[in-house]
Amino acid sequence: MTKIFKTFRAPSLETLHMSKSFGRNKALDDVSLKVAAGSFHALLGENGAGKSTLVKCMMGFYEADAGQMMIDGQEIRIHSPRDAQALGIGMVYQHFTLVPCLTAAENLVISRRDIPMVINWKSERQRLDAFMETMPFRVRLDAQVSTLSAGEKQKLEIIKLLYLDQRFLILDEPTSVLTPAEADEILGVLGEMALRREVTVLMISHKFREVKAFCDSFTVLRRGRFVGAGDARRVNAAEMSSMMIGDVGMRPPATRLKTIQDGPKLELRGVSTLGDEGRRVVSDLSLKLCSGEILGIAGVSGNGQSALIEVLSGQRPLSGGEIKINGAPFEPTRRNFDRFKVFGLPEEPMRNAVVPRMSVAENIAFRSFDKPPVLKRFGLMSSARMRQRGMELIQQFNIHTSSPDAPIETLSGGNVQRTVLARELSGEVDILIVANPCFGLDFASVADIRGKIMECRNRGAAVLLVSEDLDEIFEMSDKISVMSAGKISDPVSTLATDAMRIGKQIAGQTDEIVAGPQAE
Amino acid sequence: MSLPSASSVARPHRKPRLDPRSLALIEASVIPMGALLASALIFSLFLLMLGKDPIRFFSLVWTGGVASSFSIQNTLQRAAPLILTGLAFAVPARIGMTLLGAEGALVLGGLASALIAIPMMLGGWPVWLGLPIMALTAMAVGGAWVGLAGWLRHYRGVNETISSLLLTYIAVAIMNFLVEGVFRDPGSTNKASTMPLGPDWRVGDIPGTSVHWGLATGLIIAALLWVLMERTTFGFSARIAGGNLRAAQAQGLPVGRLAVASCAIAGACAGLAGFFEVAAVHGQANASLAAQYGFTGILVAFLARQNPLAVVPVAFLFGALAASGGLIQRRMEMPDATMLVLQGIIFVTLLTSESLYGRLPFLSVSQAGDRT
Amino acid sequence: MSDAVFMVMMAMFGGAIRVSTPFLLVALGETLTEKTGRINLGLEGNLVLGAMVAYATSYSTGSPWLGVLAAAGTGTVLSAGHGWICKLPKVNDIAVGIAFMTLGTGLAFFFGKPFIQPTAPRLDAIELGNWSSNPQVQQALKINPLFFVGLALAVVLWWMLKNTRWGLIIRMTGDNAAAARAMGISVDRVRLVATAAGGSLAGIAGAFLSLYYPGSWNESLSSGQGLMAVALVIFARWSPIRCVWAALLFGASGALGPALQSIGISKGYYFFNAAPYILTLIIMVLSARSQKAAHEVPGELSIVK
Repeated sequence: MTKIFKTFRAPSLETLHMSKSFGRNKALDDVSLKVAAGSFHALLGENGAGKSTLVKCMMGFYEADAGQMMIDGQEIRIHSPRDAQALGIGMVYQHFTLVPCLTAAENLVISRRDIPMVINWKSERQRLDAFMETMPFRVRLDAQVSTLSAGEKQKLEIIKLLYLDQRFLILDEPTSVLTPAEADEILGVLGEMALRREVTVLMISHKFREVKAFCDSFTVLRRGRFVGAGDARRVNAAEMSSMMIGDVGMRPPATRLKTIQDGPKLELRGVSTLGDEGRRVVSDLSLKLCSGEILGIAGVSGNGQSALIEVLSGQRPLSGGEIKINGAPFEPTRRNFDRFKVFGLPEEPMRNAVVPRMSVAENIAFRSFDKPPVLKRFGLMSSARMRQRGMELIQQFNIHTSSPDAPIETLSGGNVQRTVLARELSGEVDILIVANPCFGLDFASVADIRGKIMECRNRGAAVLLVSEDLDEIFEMSDKISVMSAGKISDPVSTLATDAMRIGKQIAGQTDEIVAGPQAE
Repeated sequence: MSLPSASSVARPHRKPRLDPRSLALIEASVIPMGALLASALIFSLFLLMLGKDPIRFFSLVWTGGVASSFSIQNTLQRAAPLILTGLAFAVPARIGMTLLGAEGALVLGGLASALIAIPMMLGGWPVWLGLPIMALTAMAVGGAWVGLAGWLRHYRGVNETISSLLLTYIAVAIMNFLVEGVFRDPGSTNKASTMPLGPDWRVGDIPGTSVHWGLATGLIIAALLWVLMERTTFGFSARIAGGNLRAAQAQGLPVGRLAVASCAIAGACAGLAGFFEVAAVHGQANASLAAQYGFTGILVAFLARQNPLAVVPVAFLFGALAASGGLIQRRMEMPDATMLVLQGIIFVTLLTSESLYGRLPFLSVSQAGDRT
Repeated sequence: MSDAVFMVMMAMFGGAIRVSTPFLLVALGETLTEKTGRINLGLEGNLVLGAMVAYATSYSTGSPWLGVLAAAGTGTVLSAGHGWICKLPKVNDIAVGIAFMTLGTGLAFFFGKPFIQPTAPRLDAIELGNWSSNPQVQQALKINPLFFVGLALAVVLWWMLKNTRWGLIIRMTGDNAAAARAMGISVDRVRLVATAAGGSLAGIAGAFLSLYYPGSWNESLSSGQGLMAVALVIFARWSPIRCVWAALLFGASGALGPALQSIGISKGYYFFNAAPYILTLIIMVLSARSQKAAHEVPGELSIVK
């Protein structure tokens, strides 16, 4: 079977009364979703609303407990991703599924089901080249995937689906690793293809801007249930948002008190560092942070924010520049963390902040185990006092756990983050370094965690907040800087800017003249 | 065999009957015991296939290992170095390092203590001063040797498993080189050895037994290392670093120094075992130092689940197997490698049993978090 | 004196090829295994057990090539065990490798006792040096067919990884297992098959040791070639072709001691024995932080973190 671009056919897809439980947990409860042929449909919902479960059922990763699926009005049964693939349903995941050490061409060929035993690369290349001619994107076929940019990789993911002749595309937060410009290009092209009825797109997204700009219809899920659907061009973002959040109402933003901002507490001068590949990922970065303020650093991931946090928390060596606290040179050692009261909420706490197999009480003790009262004489520790303190903080920070001795890996994401908060914020904090603290957490935890960080600022701590979530940046920060390509912009007061301007900066356009508001 | 991950979520909320710590302890005892039992069964099948009587085999292990005071002493004698080499694997394992360097540290430590004894003997130093110096030299050399693997791991990114193994081969080559060359005692005719220690330069037996002091030392060190790893800030830091290196870095812990120190402790233990092999068993350094104690120690530590106290009984078990080896060889006409086969079977079974952790239904720590 | 240099050079050349052959075979086997994202430290056990089985088979059937075949079969079975256990959850492939090293060695010593004394028929070398009248040249150019088998395998493996379905599947499994699974590939099965196939090569390497060079069976036959090959694969950056060069380098370093001894320099013989280990260690130190290696390492491999 040769892969010559055949006549385009965008299918319609419907799920009827789909349910799926994991134990007692009803992840999907009687959900019906209708995606018309050639539409660009958004699937909205908070974390844990059941969006992933729904698309995983569509893709055959899970088998639904009840419900039907129809393609072009005909009932279908999907038991495995292979079935989905055969029916022309393909998915782009949050994480790349490309194989980094293979070239783009190899990645395309390997994705096929009918790979010949011996591959004739010459004829294969001719066919690939012909196929690429029909594609809206260009990707270098001979490049090893590990050398491609995030945008190119995402394009290749989509090309791969089209190469496999999959015309119903499920995109799971496809733009989370892209710059706004890359995202707009890719979504724009897909939108045009949908308009020409070449594909049907179902996109999971959190970004209302993208939904408003590119989607024509939407469905909202909440706690595993269908709550509504509509025309994405008519319904405005606020309405969509209230459908997602439901009766809980809008979360009140964390209370910001007036503080006396003096400083600088923390100062970075010309800081540079190298990434894992040996490239400079942070270059010549300088910033100042005063007490009683939150400096928000916005930007798309992969622009050096992680490396910056790693440098400050001692996970990555400095290759140039200096860090000063209260004017004195600072090295990220345990002694200095204690002396200057530096604390941190790193991103992905399971990877950066806790030891999964150790107990909740032990994880809480990471900051205090080498100090009295836990520390006794001769370097001996009192595990009773450690446990006692753990229990107090479990109570105080409302951590849901079966026991202080339960391994922390048995806790939910929100409770893991609360454990880290309990450890880092229960004492006196002068400097707090925070990265994506609410990523992937439920509604209640988000409010809790942002409130605690704000409290810390109100008590006079200097807070550095790195976040990919622009809403979070605007809610929390006193000043905002943008990080892109390892460099940082001068901070501006949150009151003196808006999401549009910051968004443009994130996309790499400099904000020289005050631009008038642009129509969206 | 493979359960979907959903099962952990699916488990209904129920209060565990025991607290998680006791459950973990029971689990960590039941599973290795089960693995030992399974190994005994597999090995019995192996013997049956060869037309040998497994019951006779295990009764000979009993006779040769524990039945008489003579066999008990024989067992303890062999357990002594195994405690130390078991600890040498267990301590760095806590910080997440798989080190195979104990054999090399034992060989070099033993050699170093035999060599440093020569000038002291010739110079007429007092024994009470000489023996501790020998022991400390062995520990220092062993510690430096394995510490090097830790240093390479942390500061140069070299995989510690392979580097420590290479260091073992190099250690054996160095010993052969020195023992066959410069330091060969002209008196050693059939097996090249260093100059023998004088009779009063030997470590004696624990009074009333024929077990040398290495056993008592091993027990003390096991207890000390248990306290170090379970009750001190050093051990706690090491567990953090072993469980999640990035989290340890973010806590500002000196992960490099912790890694090197753990390796050095491991090497010192193995070096000390080498000292006792020289000063209490062989009376000189030669190729018999490389008697696989270092490698058996790996198995001891795995079976003890890297717990320094549990190393002791496990070392006794393997001591008993080794002690009964000769008897089995003679009575059942089986080669000395029989015990190696048994060790291999235990090792493989034990590692296979690792996949049972958290999956024994009656021991599961309930997922009674707040998963909804 | 230049005669002596020539003698050393010829002895080194012949020695390098002889010594490198088992390195090459094990390294190719390990490359295949590691390309699927799994590491097998147990190949030392395959090597020793393969050597014993090959010798015993050759002794009892009179056919050394049957011995090679038997060794390959043994290696396959042993590594299939490794592959099977490693697919269980929570099992550490490095530790399982050590266990299989113990088991393989134990079985070899157990069953090998009766074969230490008798002499088994050995593999014949191909004599490529008959054109020369110089006995050193003739000696150096006596090359065992298994060396050429190793060379051919290296090329075949290189070609296969690039140009066949299996090759792409192997590389995908080793670099991004999740992607392979999403494509319906059974990652465990691919790894099992690759580990077993790699194990057969280590078995053949053992047969080379007992049936050609040194050419007898005893318990100190292997000097850790099976383990050093793991380091060699890292040095060769997972390329079968580079494995050939790396194996030759290791072979040359291993041939250094005997070559010097052949002209009467026996001082430090035991020290030169350590040369391959020291070389391996140096190479590992030098290549550990290499960016090139970082790019080529299979993403799923546990040993190069």
